[in-house]
Amino acid sequence: MPKVLIIDDSAVMRKIIQRNIQQSGLLVDEFVEAGDGREGLEKAISNNIDLILCDWNMPNMTGIDFVKAFRSSGQKSNIPIVMVTTEGGETKIEEAKSNGANGYLTKPFTPEQLKSKLGNFLLVK
Amino acid sequence: MTPESMMETVCLDITESTKTLFETMIMMDLKYDEASLVDDTQIKTDVIGMVSFTGKYHGVIALFCSKTFALKVASALLMTELNEFTSEVKDAIGEISNMIAGNVKTKLTAQYGDMHLSIPIVIAGEGLSITAVNNHPVVAETTLSCFSKDPWLMTPFVSNNEKFNIGLLLRESNK
Repeated sequence: MPKVLIIDDSAVMRKIIQRNIQQSGLLVDEFVEAGDGREGLEKAISNNIDLILCDWNMPNMTGIDFVKAFRSSGQKSNIPIVMVTTEGGETKIEEAKSNGANGYLTKPFTPEQLKSKLGNFLLVK
Repeated sequence: MTPESMMETVCLDITESTKTLFETMIMMDLKYDEASLVDDTQIKTDVIGMVSFTGKYHGVIALFCSKTFALKVASALLMTELNEFTSEVKDAIGEISNMIAGNVKTKLTAQYGDMHLSIPIVIAGEGLSITAVNNHPVVAETTLSCFSKDPWLMTPFVSNNEKFNIGLLLRESNK
């Protein structure tokens, strides 16, 4: 079963994302959490992660810097990254996708929107 | 567009963003009234969730509420009954401020070009007043210092029988 890494500087948001995934019936075995891009990079490389959900505005290393660093590391390049962020502008979405993000979800989101975006990467019960 | 009409547009964006947030993730009733200018000496609050933005325009979007409302809205967001004002409640207020400001920023960016959003700051206490002081090394006050003579454009909301306000300070950069 899949392992999902959630990178967000808000512990509350990490908890909300986990709850929404569990309630939506998406199959996840384990959640790994990181509070910024730098911690996310360490955990993405050292764990067997199947999907990464990443915020944009974070201290130490932003989400877009994480995407660039992770994709250019040459490690585990097949792991999908979905940005989950308040940054909803077209330019930001394009920037994320051109740097290697596979999906984009804008906060606030409904459980249905989350399920729809992550359904491409996770199986449903 | 004059600064006054732009502020009115941004206030409508704040109302729309707050409504969307309450409909999607908070699930509490929401009523609101027209925005009006409020001098900072009139502001007395327990909790402030504040996000600043910079770009062609710069400013601050801040949520002002009581501790009671902060507990209610954090409980709704987390779907857990919270009775004490913990760091989790502050985190929730920060995220709420961030989601409102983020959506406003997206709308502003579409019209005025890219803007940078700060990480939210949450300040909590009893009967806080907010005064912008120049040349003070505290981050929150430094953020506000450039607006020290400007009144807040405040939109009043009511949810779950509790009042809260979302304030806006906005100015064109390099002016």
